[in-house]
Amino acid sequence: MQKKIWIILIVVFILSLIVSLSVGRYAISFTELGSILFAKLGIKGILDAPVENSAIVFWNVRLPRIIMAFAVGCGIAIAGVIFQALFRNPLASPDILGVSSGSAFGAALSIVFITEMAMGIQLSAFCFGVLAVCITFLLGTRSWDKSASVLVISGIVVSAIFQAGLSILQYISDPYTQLAKIMFWTMGSFQTSSWPKVEITLPIIIIGSIILGVFSWRLNIMTQDEKEILSLGVNIKRWRLFYLGISTLIVASAVATVGEIRWVGLIMPHIARFLVGTEHKRLIPTAAFLGGSFMLLMDTFARTVTASEIPISIITSLFGAPFLGYLILSRKGGAAKSGY
Amino acid sequence: MAIEITGLTAGYGREPVLKEINTWVSQGRICGLLGHNGSGKTTLMNCINAIIKPDRGRITVMGKDVNRLSRVQIAQLISVVPQSSYSVFDFPVLDMVLMGSVARLKAWASPGKSERQKAYKVMAEVGISELASAQYNKLSGGQQQMVLLARALYQDTPLMLLDEPNSHLDFCNQHRMMELMKRVVKQHGVTALITLHDPNLALYYCDEIIMLKQGRIVIQGLTEKIMNDTHLRQALGENIQLDATSAGLPVVVPRNLCDCLTHELEMREKEMVRSAM
Repeated sequence: MQKKIWIILIVVFILSLIVSLSVGRYAISFTELGSILFAKLGIKGILDAPVENSAIVFWNVRLPRIIMAFAVGCGIAIAGVIFQALFRNPLASPDILGVSSGSAFGAALSIVFITEMAMGIQLSAFCFGVLAVCITFLLGTRSWDKSASVLVISGIVVSAIFQAGLSILQYISDPYTQLAKIMFWTMGSFQTSSWPKVEITLPIIIIGSIILGVFSWRLNIMTQDEKEILSLGVNIKRWRLFYLGISTLIVASAVATVGEIRWVGLIMPHIARFLVGTEHKRLIPTAAFLGGSFMLLMDTFARTVTASEIPISIITSLFGAPFLGYLILSRKGGAAKSGY
Repeated sequence: MAIEITGLTAGYGREPVLKEINTWVSQGRICGLLGHNGSGKTTLMNCINAIIKPDRGRITVMGKDVNRLSRVQIAQLISVVPQSSYSVFDFPVLDMVLMGSVARLKAWASPGKSERQKAYKVMAEVGISELASAQYNKLSGGQQQMVLLARALYQDTPLMLLDEPNSHLDFCNQHRMMELMKRVVKQHGVTALITLHDPNLALYYCDEIIMLKQGRIVIQGLTEKIMNDTHLRQALGENIQLDATSAGLPVVVPRNLCDCLTHELEMREKEMVRSAM
């Protein structure tokens, strides 16, 4: 059963990859895709030499965008699994501790006061995303109640403050230039993906995901009652900080690069659980693969369905929310496996 | 001694729940912890397991001060069977039992073949082998309790703490659980400290008993020595008394229930006499 699911996941990934690479405003046929790859690998004589424009679009525009979309999808889906496990809440999503609000504020702050350059926005969004989570932690650890629910409440407080800050920045920004940029950023897009951005974001997501994958089995224990976790021999504070710290870095680097991505961190863990059950050693790679493939398809849809590009969060919400509803209504088979 | 507690004062706020507790539990025994709701049984368990830091006093388990040990070290000394456990994300029973291996695995490791074999062995011992692939949340309360016991046994610790393990079990399963504990203690040479509400279970299955009232120890010692009317009334109330069944087995019953039974017997006797006349 597990093997079959993995074969299906790999097929879905390959198909979505091919579709994403070929479809777009500048369409690249499958033959052209082959010739571009063969030319890069130095294989001659099988296919005609690629058209120069196609090769440029492929290497400089589409490939970095696709790599970014897949990586961000993977990272956010993994973070979703981690957050749901640590907060023992199937409705928890990676922005529960305020990372998205912090990043959005950081990006807006950069757009209004510092720089509108992509790198500057990215750096500011990343720093404020991490800062928001640090404040949440600080508030949570100062409370007499050390349970995970206090962190959630702290996250709500911090998110609200940064949301208010974002609103102020939107209010004072130039409505003709800056406001549109802030709005577009908060709704997320892979439009500005480039190799330098991939070089900055990808290592954080890859290294973070590998670390979380290696330590994934312990997450089974982290889903238990807090007293039980301690009794089983797990230092709950230390491990919570470890998992949340790495997940936050992944989400902050993803959100800082492409803007807010809604629903992926919430629904991908559910679909993965539906397919392979609750055991986190199986769940994390499945959620990652699903998240990556879903994001590829959504981004392809966002950039091809209309003449101008639709922000990614609109598309992920449009597809994600009804799909979660469908899962809830038809979870007969899944319930036996996942039981949530 | 498996557990030694000296001068323990502990609680959750300003008013301590446990006051100047001095007690011990012998190694390789089942020790029952009796007392009313709110007498401090669970708080004492939490102190022994270092979940609650004491305001004053010292607790040693197998000679080691638990408040100076790491969580991993404590989990290698003490395993816990909670009253009940609900998992938000439902795991198969095998995965639940394997969670007991975490204290003996490296931080990055996950259970392998040998851990799975051990889990199957423990499940067979507890009698839940056929439930290995069943989902934990869909089991009955009794079966869930057995899974939690198997997980604690997997931890392979010299001390087991069982916090009202019978609270969700029916009459037969309560005795099954206690019989199982007796066997486990004998076979593995572990010590078990069990909080109980039913003094009869303590009477039948515990080697030693500690009676608590309002955060203080009323009496402690060997079951046969301390289970008498005086101590039971001191710890559990004036309406309790030690009686005997028709087969001569000792049984703890509420006194007004005795009165009722005595009255009923007297009435029956009178009826029999009347019908004989």
